[in-house]
Amino acid sequence: MSNTAAVCTSFKVDQLNGIHAFGTTVTRGSTAADTFKAALYFASATLGASTTAYSTTGEVTGTGYTAGGVTVTNATAPTSSGTTAYWTPSGNFAWTTMTASAFDTVLLYNSTQSNKAVAVYTFGSQTVTASNFTLTMPANAAGTALLQLA
Amino acid sequence: MADEPLIWTSKGNLPIASLEYTHAWDETPEYLKFSETYLLDGEIVKQSAHVYVKQGAQAQPEQGTF
Repeated sequence: MSNTAAVCTSFKVDQLNGIHAFGTTVTRGSTAADTFKAALYFASATLGASTTAYSTTGEVTGTGYTAGGVTVTNATAPTSSGTTAYWTPSGNFAWTTMTASAFDTVLLYNSTQSNKAVAVYTFGSQTVTASNFTLTMPANAAGTALLQLA
Repeated sequence: MADEPLIWTSKGNLPIASLEYTHAWDETPEYLKFSETYLLDGEIVKQSAHVYVKQGAQAQPEQGTF
């Protein structure tokens, strides 16, 4: 047998579960699960890896769309396969009878923890008129899950 | 006589037979998108889109070395 340097897979799952706190001060007081939300952004916005929190700047406006987006249905705990920890919401993101033009991004953020950003997903510029927009979640597995720590 | 099917649009309920229908697919490694468009005299009065996220976002933490 030999030893292998690695970031432990269990630690990756723990990250998704909010177990470890490396900060020098306690920044998390609640032990309850957080609420996550999904907000849409115009193609002209500038979200990306540097996004730190939800903002109304560049967020979609239009009939049938409420600022802040929709609450993410989360009934699936993070898990792992191989060396990848992953998590996918248990429900799709859906907006009904909405009208909005030229949006291409959804921001996943933590509304419990000061609206801190989690991830940004793009899907090509889209306009919706008096109808529905749905983001169907990927398979909850390593390689496809909505959020993965590989 | 059967009622004419109506569909909700930006101009209220309209007979679906009076509208022009188009649809489109857009596929990338990350998503598959299907959109439907209804036009009335060339004007879009109803447009929907459904995106299947094929692959989410991946982060790769790396451990330091001594």
